[in-house]
Amino acid sequence: MIMEASPKPEERRWQGLSVSEGLVIGRVLRIHKGTRHAYPARIEVGDVESEINRFREAIEQAKEQLLGIKEHAAKLLGEAHSYIFDAHLLMLEDRQLSEEIESYITKRRANAEWAVKVIGDRLLSVYAEIKDDYLRERGSDIEDVIHRVLEALSGERPSYLDSVQDAVIVSEDLLPSAVAELNLEHARALVTDAGGWTSHTAIIARGLAIPAMVGLEDLCQHARTGDQIIVDAYKGEVILHPSAATLESCHTEIAGRKGTTAVAAPSGTGIVQTRDGVQIRLRANVELPAEFKGVRKYGAMGIGLYRSEFLLAQPGVLLSEEKQYETYAEVAQLAGADGAVVRLFDLGGDKSGESVIDSERNPALGLRAIRFCLRNEIVLRTQVRAIMRAASKGRLDIVLPMVADVADVNRAQAIIAEERSKLEASGIECGPVRIGAMIEVPSAVMTAEKIARVVDFFELGTNDLVQYVLAVDRGNDKVADWFRTLHPAVLDSLGRTLKAARDAGIPAIVCGEMASTPVYAVILVGLGATDLSMTPSSIPRVTKVMAGIDAADAQAIATECLRCASADEVEKLVREEFMTRWPNLFTAKTLPSTNLSR
Amino acid sequence: MIEARVAVKNQLGLHARAAARLVRTANRYQSSLRLERLDGTVSADAKSILNVLMLGATGGTELRAIAEGHDEAEALAALSGMFEDGFGELQP
Repeated sequence: MIMEASPKPEERRWQGLSVSEGLVIGRVLRIHKGTRHAYPARIEVGDVESEINRFREAIEQAKEQLLGIKEHAAKLLGEAHSYIFDAHLLMLEDRQLSEEIESYITKRRANAEWAVKVIGDRLLSVYAEIKDDYLRERGSDIEDVIHRVLEALSGERPSYLDSVQDAVIVSEDLLPSAVAELNLEHARALVTDAGGWTSHTAIIARGLAIPAMVGLEDLCQHARTGDQIIVDAYKGEVILHPSAATLESCHTEIAGRKGTTAVAAPSGTGIVQTRDGVQIRLRANVELPAEFKGVRKYGAMGIGLYRSEFLLAQPGVLLSEEKQYETYAEVAQLAGADGAVVRLFDLGGDKSGESVIDSERNPALGLRAIRFCLRNEIVLRTQVRAIMRAASKGRLDIVLPMVADVADVNRAQAIIAEERSKLEASGIECGPVRIGAMIEVPSAVMTAEKIARVVDFFELGTNDLVQYVLAVDRGNDKVADWFRTLHPAVLDSLGRTLKAARDAGIPAIVCGEMASTPVYAVILVGLGATDLSMTPSSIPRVTKVMAGIDAADAQAIATECLRCASADEVEKLVREEFMTRWPNLFTAKTLPSTNLSR
Repeated sequence: MIEARVAVKNQLGLHARAAARLVRTANRYQSSLRLERLDGTVSADAKSILNVLMLGATGGTELRAIAEGHDEAEALAALSGMFEDGFGELQP
């Protein structure tokens, strides 16, 4: 007898936004936000007491889980992100809630599940009446807690909690509570339907250095736990049910990449010399505590960019000066002798998340970064006080995000100087702090030589620079094809800014995503950059490439690139030149491709 | 029994995190603590987070805080203080 095998589902591909690079083959672990169903059952009078006890035990169990989650969240995401779980704990401890549920069990002789569901739903419906959008949305916290209690009553923990190991997590969106509950450190990749560059998924995946893609739109409707899946975050593609041929070519590519990406641990100084003797400094970009360990592990030369806004769980929630001081002191200590550059809160714009502040028509061009800080002086003053105090414990510098011109710099400097005098007058110890400007908007590029005269250093934020120079929203999929890092206008802006810094005799650190991609890093060096700051996990591969090239060659290529008229021309040139000059360092797959079509 | 007027100064209002801080503090005192909307439509036990959330108190809302018990003065002062500093949240 011949058993008919069920037909293997057909291979399907999705394009998305890569937020953390890598290529893996794995099995899907589908994570649902999930609703639990509860059914009514009538219990005997004699069982009421034991039913109430069962409910109380479930509450205790849920509390225990939440304490663990809270601790894990604090460790992984920072303390500000863990406070929300304190609210969840308080809901479980809420006597009114438990009394109502217990009385429902007693009076209706209902099973605990049903009582929890009925009272929970009643609570949610009252909450849904709240007029304020923001507060009403907090109903999701109540839902979360009710769900947890029902789960505890069922006596089963979601099975996925134990199967994260080596799985590719596929989810609509990853909520902070899921992140804190799963041991994502052991996952193989993260993929979500929703999200952009600044989504939780993106931040966490980069922190954990695992491949991640967001914006897959409807992948979740098709992927089932256990399905085979390929996540190619180099190409920005997810392949579900890969065919044998696809699998084979993927295996080959992974094997090929091993040679180029698995680089031995660096010397640990964070300085690498090109073959012709130009010294390149490699520093770390960090935002989350989860990333802190990478600074030492990958041998960075201090922290080139500390994105301080991730200290804040939410826009509008400021950490006290004391809490900030503690964090900055920790960052300084972590960075060691080479110090850390703290970027002032880059709030507003696309970083405001669920905006409660009146939404702006055009947030990327709105009240954000230094503009936000200058408009909300209390925020600025609190932060710079904390930084200057922490600078007495280790080397710290300040970079002003998104300055438009010298005027922004002057205003910020005046406020910083005022706070310093106040601190000194009250005998509070503070350390020396240099002040730099983040050059990422066209007006700052065009007046770079003027700004260079009034600051101690430059940082070049390449992600925003590309967005602003090319007028392309980097969070908008529809214009992704116009987001061309190697556009001659971008390269020219970078070259000018680097030259302005050189002429003024101040350092310039390039700290956007560009620095962490070997091809781009070579071009940056060709444009005159000698100081790059990147995701710590990228340091080994950039080190390897830097040690294998001549800066003079990079310069020759960069000069040619500047003569090009379009990004297509630059990419073609880069592909040809890199393949000819450094065939051992680059393969066709690691070089920009021109299959982009508008 | 004593009472005081308090105003929600932080922009986000009494959302979960702010409410959590308020409730944690309220529970440190023996006295009963209530928060009421000035129009008397909603009244909440300040020791119950779900009650406090139900107030739906947005930024700018004014409330009446009422304390009763042997440590009522300290309790009311602590509560008012938290409203005063906006639950440690900035107000852009």
